[in-house]
Amino acid sequence: MDLFANLAHGFSVALTFNNLLFCLIGCLIGTAIGVLPGIGPVATISLLLPITFGQPATTAIIMLAGIYYGAQYGGSTTAILLNLPGEVSSVVTTLEGYKMARRGRAGAALTVAALGSFFAGTVATVVVAASGPLLTQVALSFGPADYFSLMFLGLVISAVLAQGSVVKSIGMVVLGVSMGMVGTDVQTGQQRFTFGIPELSDGVGFVSMAMGMFGIAEIILNLERPEARSVMSGKVGSLMMTREEFRRAVPSVLRGTLVGTFLGILPGGGAALSSFGSYMMERKVSKGRHEFGTGAIEGVAGPESANNAASQTSFIPLLTLGIPANAVMALMVGALIIQGIQPGPRMVEAQPDLFWGLIASMWVGNLMLLVINLPMIGMWVKLLSVPYRFMYPSIMIFCAIGVYSLQNNVFDVYQTVVFGIFGYLCSKLRLEAAPMLIGFVLGPMMEEHLRRAMLLSRGDPMVFVERPISATMLAIAAIALGAMLMPNLRKGKDAALQEGG
Amino acid sequence: MSWALSRRTVLAGSVVAGTASRRALAQAGAWPSQPIRLVVPFAPGGTTDLVARLVAAGLQERLGVSVIVENRAGAGATVGSEAVARAAPDGYTLVMSNIASHAISPAVYRGRVRYDPVADFAHIALVVSNPTVWVANPRSGIRTLQDAAAKARGPGGLDVATSGAGSSNHLMVVRMGQLIGVELNHIPFRGAGPAMQAVIAGQVPMMSDSLPSSVAHIRQGSVVAVGMASAQRHPAFPDVPTFREQGFDLASDSWFGLSAPAGTPAAIVERLNRETRAFLGSAEVRARFSELGGTPGDLTAEGYGDFVRREVALWAPLVQAAGATAD
Repeated sequence: MDLFANLAHGFSVALTFNNLLFCLIGCLIGTAIGVLPGIGPVATISLLLPITFGQPATTAIIMLAGIYYGAQYGGSTTAILLNLPGEVSSVVTTLEGYKMARRGRAGAALTVAALGSFFAGTVATVVVAASGPLLTQVALSFGPADYFSLMFLGLVISAVLAQGSVVKSIGMVVLGVSMGMVGTDVQTGQQRFTFGIPELSDGVGFVSMAMGMFGIAEIILNLERPEARSVMSGKVGSLMMTREEFRRAVPSVLRGTLVGTFLGILPGGGAALSSFGSYMMERKVSKGRHEFGTGAIEGVAGPESANNAASQTSFIPLLTLGIPANAVMALMVGALIIQGIQPGPRMVEAQPDLFWGLIASMWVGNLMLLVINLPMIGMWVKLLSVPYRFMYPSIMIFCAIGVYSLQNNVFDVYQTVVFGIFGYLCSKLRLEAAPMLIGFVLGPMMEEHLRRAMLLSRGDPMVFVERPISATMLAIAAIALGAMLMPNLRKGKDAALQEGG
Repeated sequence: MSWALSRRTVLAGSVVAGTASRRALAQAGAWPSQPIRLVVPFAPGGTTDLVARLVAAGLQERLGVSVIVENRAGAGATVGSEAVARAAPDGYTLVMSNIASHAISPAVYRGRVRYDPVADFAHIALVVSNPTVWVANPRSGIRTLQDAAAKARGPGGLDVATSGAGSSNHLMVVRMGQLIGVELNHIPFRGAGPAMQAVIAGQVPMMSDSLPSSVAHIRQGSVVAVGMASAQRHPAFPDVPTFREQGFDLASDSWFGLSAPAGTPAAIVERLNRETRAFLGSAEVRARFSELGGTPGDLTAEGYGDFVRREVALWAPLVQAAGATAD
């Protein structure tokens, strides 16, 4: 068995003292920056890059990888506890996770996020080891038309995220897509809707938007309610999951892992789509779907597993093709190149230590994160009992620092303030922020792939139905739209009854 | 070309410069006595950022003070460059000036760029120049630029991917179209990575790229290098003929270097030029850059200033021809 021999070799590399130490350092730094709102892995890795120059390439990449998935772990902590998503993938976690925290189940939410992520990480690591090169072909077979249809499907289903009126949610998706149009047009380089502000030429900032709409708006809302001015309305509750919660979470973790493993391979929106996709799936198929909106554990277990699985499999295009799937991967390519190693198909043969060592270290890193995070859950939950007059100002300060550090530009801080006020108004009007954020993320990607597909087909729209992958996605989207609209007529009646009764 | 706001900027700048140069003069003897800020007008992780960090580490060692890299991306690298153009000319704020911020973007964004890429800076040293290379998918049947030209003239034309609209790679596509006599079908991507993936997957047959982002893929055979748009063949790829050898009169490098705000004392500029060139001249750095596909710069401060001036004059008409202005 080559695979086992290779993995054994990988573990012998990953388990050397030096590599273990740097893996641990990476995981610790990653968790820390994940917890601090706004400070993302991209900025951290680029800051720490020079430190890795002096280390062997394998050690360097193991540490950087540790920061990357450590940040994913840490990001879900603030999303659950404080309604502060630092990254695209943790937006979904806020939906049910924060509700759970408010119900006094923060400990359970954090535990399921950690355990689910560990399980998903383990599966995804095996997938990367066993079938990386094979899966590369899947990624390569996705053309612009297929990406467009995939994104379109995501956008259609994202209306499901609505917890209230479908019309309002579609309105928010459209608003998000329109905000995504701000900035430089990829095809022509023209400026759109920037009103002459140079800072807007790269678009509205995602982190500013997510922090403002979720975190800051939540703080303003809380200040308005003098009686319940604590993050938690109930008591802290038991840290551990109940047997019932565990039983409900298991199938969601399995489904989330599957979704994340597959979507993570696709460069670009893959990892972001995976947590949205998993959430939508849980909302439709899980046993606890009627609890969604009030803190369903499935809504944390699924997306958290999916995003961790995706963050592991997103290494596949990097390791097998040498093509980075996102900004963090681009930094890793940079780190490898500085070390004189060129990522690509030959890396498996030319650098077996690096390739298999990295894969083994992914699993070791996930295990470390579990060991670091599980005992810390008690501490995080205690953080919630800190009086609001200390808590909120410090959250605001961390947010401001984090947002400023993105571009070292005050503009981003102002932007966050604007979105905070806007988010507050939205919650007053019962408009959901999540569909808007999804529209904001998917809209521009969709536009880009649509126009690229049309450029390549010389303006022939048939390309979307002629390609089998694209045609399948569009068919599913059509079915989803149909299914959504039909029961909606009935639901309208139900809602009327509920309001009446 | 018009720099709509440049006079006001210069006036405002001279007020700052008045106070700052006094401070600078007072400190000139002791320079450097505090950390130096090196602004990279791109997001972290790109080629410019990586090289900036290497140069920062090298300068730090030679100057004995910290050199801190600060990323200020946005608007075709003009946001960060503008911040430096307005900074105090005391030798403690530098920028990675580059083909985007100092040659192409001023033409693309025209009135909205609030600095003059020549007059508002004291250009210090050219750091690296990277030739443009055209690569093709091995199954596309394109092996030479003549093949590409034949395909472009045939039915359906030729698709060429680039890292983005308004980039130097895009402008190369426009120039090449003018030479062939047929407009090429330009397919812009968000960065070189996704574009390269489309070429490897066969969705787009060709790509106009900066050599460093293509090097690995050429070496491992996932793409074929069709032509090198530089004056001479590249030492790392002696088999790849230049555009001129294949009958197309094109040679263009993308480049970046170090610049400071205008008014920075000449002694500081000279010292920085000397240290940067010494760092770039070391055998280890030369070998690494060449392996990555770039050529380390070796120009005097004056030479780099002239170079920037020539580039500005070269790219402005091409931007107009490409219709890439952002108005």
